[in-house]
Amino acid sequence: MTWKKLISSEFYAIFTNIPLLVTVFGGVIIYSFLYPLPYINQTPTEQKIAIINLDNSQLSRTIERMANATPQVKITQQIYNIEEAKALLVKGDITGFLLIPQHFYRDLLLEKSPHLLFAGNASYFLVYGTVVEGLVRSASTLAAEVKVSRMVIRGDNIALASSQFTPIGMNLKPTFNPSLGYLNYIVPAVFVLILHQTLLIAMGLVTAGQFEDKVKLKPSSALHSSYWLTQPVWKILLVRSCIMFAVYLALLSYYFGYSFEYYGISRLATIPDLLSLVFPFLLSVIFLGTILGLLIPRKELATLIVLLSSLPLVFSAGFIWPTTNMPTIINVIAQFSPSTPAINGFLRLNQMGDSIDNLVGVRSQLWLLVILYATISFILMTLKQRSFNDSLKPSE
Amino acid sequence: MSNTLSFLQSIKNEWQLICRDAWLKALLFWVPVLLALIIWGVFSTGIAHDLPIGVVDKDNSSISRSLIRNYSASPTLSVVKHFNSTEQADTALKEGSIYAFVIIPHALEKNTLLGKSPQVTAFYNSQFILIGKLVSSALLSAHGTYVAQLETLKNLVNAHGQVTQALGEALPISYQITPLFNANTHYGQFLVAAVIPAMWQILIIATTVIVLATPLRNTTLESWIENLHFSDLLIKLIPYILVFWLQGIIYISVFYGALHWPMHGSWLLLIFAQFLLVIACASVATLLFFITLDVTRAMSLVAGFAAPAFAFMGVTFPTTDMPVLAQFWRALLPISHYINIQIQQVNYGSSFINTTNSLLALVSFSSCLYITKLLFEKRKKSNSLKLKSYTTDKQSDNKNNKKGYN
Repeated sequence: MTWKKLISSEFYAIFTNIPLLVTVFGGVIIYSFLYPLPYINQTPTEQKIAIINLDNSQLSRTIERMANATPQVKITQQIYNIEEAKALLVKGDITGFLLIPQHFYRDLLLEKSPHLLFAGNASYFLVYGTVVEGLVRSASTLAAEVKVSRMVIRGDNIALASSQFTPIGMNLKPTFNPSLGYLNYIVPAVFVLILHQTLLIAMGLVTAGQFEDKVKLKPSSALHSSYWLTQPVWKILLVRSCIMFAVYLALLSYYFGYSFEYYGISRLATIPDLLSLVFPFLLSVIFLGTILGLLIPRKELATLIVLLSSLPLVFSAGFIWPTTNMPTIINVIAQFSPSTPAINGFLRLNQMGDSIDNLVGVRSQLWLLVILYATISFILMTLKQRSFNDSLKPSE
Repeated sequence: MSNTLSFLQSIKNEWQLICRDAWLKALLFWVPVLLALIIWGVFSTGIAHDLPIGVVDKDNSSISRSLIRNYSASPTLSVVKHFNSTEQADTALKEGSIYAFVIIPHALEKNTLLGKSPQVTAFYNSQFILIGKLVSSALLSAHGTYVAQLETLKNLVNAHGQVTQALGEALPISYQITPLFNANTHYGQFLVAAVIPAMWQILIIATTVIVLATPLRNTTLESWIENLHFSDLLIKLIPYILVFWLQGIIYISVFYGALHWPMHGSWLLLIFAQFLLVIACASVATLLFFITLDVTRAMSLVAGFAAPAFAFMGVTFPTTDMPVLAQFWRALLPISHYINIQIQQVNYGSSFINTTNSLLALVSFSSCLYITKLLFEKRKKSNSLKLKSYTTDKQSDNKNNKKGYN
């Protein structure tokens, strides 16, 4: 069999495999719209809260207005006790409330440091954080105003007073994702995982499909001439990995190029830098997928295994929960999935603007995985080919 | 009577099938346990602690040092490195070895004593939003505590030793923040309690598809459909539905029972909702299988349907802030209705009336079974016509097989 024939047979095997095409092209493209969909609005805003104003002074109404002015919360209800607030929370009409105690204004004038009460529904962390942020922000603005006005009353200069209301200020700067947008947070990492998972499935489907069907349906005479049983394993692996690499290079460009541009996600890496990570990433996944295909008895199990591994891979990748807070064993196992170093590497390169020279660790880890998985898949496929050829001989 | 008999027979058959098929056994019994253990393991610390941060101390005075000690004293943070320049700190932040760094300016002490209100700047990694938020709020509270101490001390001099007045001047308004329904703000419990149902949905749907497809391993599609009654199919699923339900009951008993996670609602209602969820998922799986009548293609549909479910559940990102299209897709996923009930029961102990909407939504998924029945009958009709017109169904079978082999 010539190279040309082998290449065309591989092409045929890949591009007539409907579940594979559905997963690779359908999956990748549909996910590129479906996955970012919930996060399109980036940050939760205008959380509905209730207010319990027991003071009813001029100042307490100023707090209300200040809270309403923040983008995080919106006062939708005026109520009179905490029980009522709780009932509304349970029903889901509000997500938090603000209680202004009786004599709030009087205590403030007496410099008694009166207490405001903020409460949010902590069943939903992001909602809770948003409500608290909005309320704390309005309360601290008010506190600053009160301090400044006291300083002015004491005879300080207003300009000086407004810069001196606190002895040491803190200026917090969110870096890499200044808007704290959820889309910028989830999508760059999950897109790497989608490419990873669909490529694994695709490789699993091709490989498992070829070694599965023969048992079930084909007469052994026809099987005998199947190229995957007659050709040298290294040639098959080479041709197959080249074709799948080319396909995924195109899909990856679509994700990192068009999709990121479309969603306004930052792309700080240069193309050569990206490529130096893309090569070991795609190759390691291709060989891992081949191993998967060789180990399973039926091809649908490829999709199943990959599907079940998705959520554990997302949560052990280190972008949601700090790796230092994870059990070592989980962290170590996760390092064997190309997705873990790849998500870390692509985020650093493309979102955090790290230089490729600092990514030596990630790159060598991925290349080691390529060598490891290429060797294993070569050995497994050779063994499988031999055992099939052996089992076919006596039947002839 | 004959119904119970056929049901018992079906349990026996399915039990034999499970015993023979190691993959099916794994899916039903140990894979769910393994997956739950992994997710629980990742979040087992619950509250993030000792997140590494760095400092660039350009002042090196007693105030700057006590400020740094205050950051380090926060349980969430741990100052792991002192950098000499901002560039070095920036590299470490990009590399991910620290999650934030604080720059303390020159003459911090001098300016503080002169009342010039110097500024400390903190850069935190907001690419990892969750970690970034934990770090920034810990920094802010550690800083605030120190500043309030400093100010109270200063005011104490003016107030001639009256602590309350000095405190009142330093903090003109104080506030108390109450997290309702999840008093310890335990992030692990929050995520684990949502991730596990999402994986459970995937497992139920995928396993049901595999189970439905088992007869196809030994017979052709045509002859299988010819000899099949729709009710047999449903009876076949009953033992599996019971196993799935048991999986659900086990996970809630472990978390809210054995591990003593707070649970305020009705166990009975929650377990009933789990039953409805299992039925809903099994119905969806049956439909997905009969749309394709091919296990591999059905599995692709399952992946497309169930894999992104976690993002749509509305637990990490609120449903109310999703666009309408996302809310629509969310409504098509059984698990999002179940998670509403679970959160309502576990966290608020909500009344039955508040959960009726979600319960009804779960029930409505069984309409998938009706659609499947229609599909199945249509297929059976065309199948029997085909069998009549070409008696040689083997020929067509061979033709189909050839396609993939040239």
